[in-house]
Amino acid sequence: MLLALLLCYAGFTALCLAMDRHHVELLGRKASLRRRQGLRLAGWLLLALSLWAAVATAGWESGLVEWCAVLMLSAVLLVMLMPYRPSLVLSLAGLSLLACPVALLAQ
Amino acid sequence: MKGKARSLPMSYRLAVTSRVLAAVLGGYIVAALASVSLSSWVPMARADAVVTGMLTSFLAYLGAVIWCFACRTALRAWLGLALPCVILAVVSGLAYWMDRT
Amino acid sequence: MKEGFRQAMAWLHTWAGLIFGWLLFAIFLTGTLAYFKDETSHWMKPEIPARSVSSDVSLNVAQNYLEQHAGGASRWLIELPTAREPGLSVRWQQTPTQRGERGQFTEKHLDPQTGAEVQGRESTGGEFFYRFHFQLQMPYPWGRWLSTFAAMVMFVALISGIITHKKIFKDFFTFRPRKGQRTWLDGHNAVGVLVLPFHLMITYSSLVIFMVMVMPASILVSYKGDVRGFYDELFPASTTPQLSGQPAALAPLAPLLEKAREQWGDGRVARLTVNNPGDASASVVLVRDGSDRVVHDFGSAVTFQGVSGQLLGATPQASLPRAIAGSFFGLHMGHFAGPLMRGLYFIFGLAGTAMIGTGLVIWLGKRQLKHAKAAALPFELRLVQILNIASMAGLMLAVAAFFWANRLLPLGLTGRADWEVNAFFIVWGLSVLHAVVRPGKQAWFEQLALAAVLFGGVPLLNALTTSYHLAVTLAQGDWAMAGFDLTCLATGVFFAWAAWKMRRAGQVEGVSRPRAQPMALEQEAH
Repeated sequence: MLLALLLCYAGFTALCLAMDRHHVELLGRKASLRRRQGLRLAGWLLLALSLWAAVATAGWESGLVEWCAVLMLSAVLLVMLMPYRPSLVLSLAGLSLLACPVALLAQ
Repeated sequence: MKGKARSLPMSYRLAVTSRVLAAVLGGYIVAALASVSLSSWVPMARADAVVTGMLTSFLAYLGAVIWCFACRTALRAWLGLALPCVILAVVSGLAYWMDRT
Repeated sequence: MKEGFRQAMAWLHTWAGLIFGWLLFAIFLTGTLAYFKDETSHWMKPEIPARSVSSDVSLNVAQNYLEQHAGGASRWLIELPTAREPGLSVRWQQTPTQRGERGQFTEKHLDPQTGAEVQGRESTGGEFFYRFHFQLQMPYPWGRWLSTFAAMVMFVALISGIITHKKIFKDFFTFRPRKGQRTWLDGHNAVGVLVLPFHLMITYSSLVIFMVMVMPASILVSYKGDVRGFYDELFPASTTPQLSGQPAALAPLAPLLEKAREQWGDGRVARLTVNNPGDASASVVLVRDGSDRVVHDFGSAVTFQGVSGQLLGATPQASLPRAIAGSFFGLHMGHFAGPLMRGLYFIFGLAGTAMIGTGLVIWLGKRQLKHAKAAALPFELRLVQILNIASMAGLMLAVAAFFWANRLLPLGLTGRADWEVNAFFIVWGLSVLHAVVRPGKQAWFEQLALAAVLFGGVPLLNALTTSYHLAVTLAQGDWAMAGFDLTCLATGVFFAWAAWKMRRAGQVEGVSRPRAQPMALEQEAH
C-alpha cells in the first residue's frame, strides 16, 4: 500500500499545481501553459501508476479497494495540509517520488 | 427559499408536500416495478435475476426522486412517475403473460 | 420551483440534508465506532482473557460444552476465535414453537482453553454501537426500515450535492481556513468530495444490505411469494434438513475444519452451524472467514452430514450479481480489513460524519446571519440550533457516558448491560434539555468542554477502576486496550480544542463579525 500511497500523493500534488490558483498558493507565481499541461500529464500518470502498484501487489479485488483508500487519504492529506504548510506539501511530494523506488524494492 | 416561514403561501407548501409524497411513495412504486420488470426479463437464473432487480432498483428510486423535484410543477411530478409506472407494469405483465402461455 | 435544475437540486440537498441530518449523523457516528466494536468490547469487558488458541482445540472445547449444556437444541452456532475477537462464543437456538418463527437464542462465552464459561462484566460492549446504527434502538423491524429510509435520503443528498456543486473540479483542492462561513462550506465540500467513493459505497451498500426487506417485489413476483424458496436457491448450503426424530451421535467436529479447507483450497473457518444436533439428520455448515476476501463470503460454506461426516455440498462460484451484492456487503462491513485499512475505514467514517455535521452547521449559520441583529432567533431556527447541539455534541456526551457507566456501575448490578445503555440515552436526553435552556453558543461550549473532560478522563478513569490501565496494557502489548484509552484521550484533546475555538468565536463575534459575506454565499448556486 505504501508505494501506491506515495505515487498518489505525488500525483495529486502535480494535479494541484497544474491549477493556476494553487500554483500561486504553493510556488508564489503563475505557470506557463506548457508547464501546467506537463504537470497535469504527470499527475494523471502518477495516479495510473499508483493503481498499477496497488493491483500488482494485492490483486484486483483487494488492490482496487486499497487504491481507492489510498486515493482518498492522500487527497485529504494534501488539501488539509496546503493552507497551513504549503512548503511541506511540496517537500512531501518530492520525498514521495524519491521514496518510490525504495518502496518498490521493499515489496 | 428564505427562512421567512410565515410569508410562504399555502399553495407553495401544498406543492412541496405533493412533490415529497410523489417522490417517497411514487418513487418506491417506480423502483419496485423496475425491479420486477428487470428480474422478469433479464436472461439469468431466477435468483440472480431477482438480485439484479433489487440491486438496481435504488437507482430507479433515485431517478424518480430527482424528477419529482426537478420538474416544473407538482402535477408534472406525479404524471412523470405515472408514465414509467404504466410502461413498467406493461413490461412486467407481458413477462407474466408469456410465462403463463 | 421555476428555477433551473441546479437550483432545484440545491433546494432538495438543503432540505433533505437538514431533516435527516440529525439522524444520519448518529448513524454515521455509531457506524464508524462499530468498526472497532471488538476492541471496544474488549475494553468494556476487560476480564475476558485474550488468549489465542488453535481452531481445532477451541472447536473441541465448544463441542464438549454444547453436548453437555445444549443437547436438545435445534441448532448450535459456534464462533471460532479470530485475531480481533479472541473469544470463543457459542449460541444455541431452541426449536421455535411455530414454523417460520425465530427460536430463542442463548449465548455463552467460553474460555477456549478450559471450556469454562467466562463472565466478563455484563455489558453490550461495542455491539451496542453496531446494532444501534442500523436498528436505532427501535423494535424489530422498524429501526431497520427507518435507517434504510435514511440511507436512501443520504443517497439523494449525496447525488443532489454533487449536482449542486458547480465547481466540483475547480474547487477540488480548495480549503480556505479562517474565513467563517466560507471555511465551513469549504470543509463540507472537502470531506464530501475527496472521500466521495467511500460515502457513495457506504450509502449504496447499506441499501443493498437490507434490500430483501425493503424491496421484495421482485422476489414475491418471481417466486410467487415463496421467500424461503428464494433463500434456498441463493444459499443452498444453509438449508436446514428436516428433523428425522432418530437420535444419533454427532461426529467430532474438529476434523471437518481441515476438510473445509481442502474444499476452498485455503482459508479458515469463521463459524459453524450445527443443525439438529444429536439427530440422525444433523448437518454441519462451515462458513469461511469473511476476512479472507473483500467480497463478503456469505455464500461460501461447506456442508457435511453431522453423523457420517460426508460432504453434502459446497457453494458454487458466485455468479456476477451475487458477487456484486457480496462486494457491497463485504465493503460495507469491512471484515476483510487489516489494522491499517480498518483505521482508514474509521477515518473515512469520521469524514462522512463530519460532512453531515458541517452541513447542519452551515444550514443554520447561513440563516442565522440574517438574524444577527435580532434579539432572539425565530422559533424554527432555534429548534434547528437545539437539535444541532444535541445531535452532535450531545451524542458525543452520550458515547462518553456509555464508557463511564461501564467503569462506574457496580459489577454485580442486575441488568447492568441495560443500565449502560440507559446511561447513554439519559445523558443524550439531558443534553437536549441543556441545549433548550442555555443560549446557543454557551450550550455548544459547555457540552464540548464536558465532552473534552469525559473523553480525556477515560484513561484516568480506567486506571482508577480497573487494573488494565495504560501502564499495564502498553507493557503487555495489549494494543486494543491501550489504543482505546489513547483514542479517547486524543478525542478529549480534540473537543478541548473545539470548545476553545467556540469560546473564541463567541468573543470575537461582537467586535467584527457583521463583515460576514452573504453575497458570496448566494452566488454558490444556492
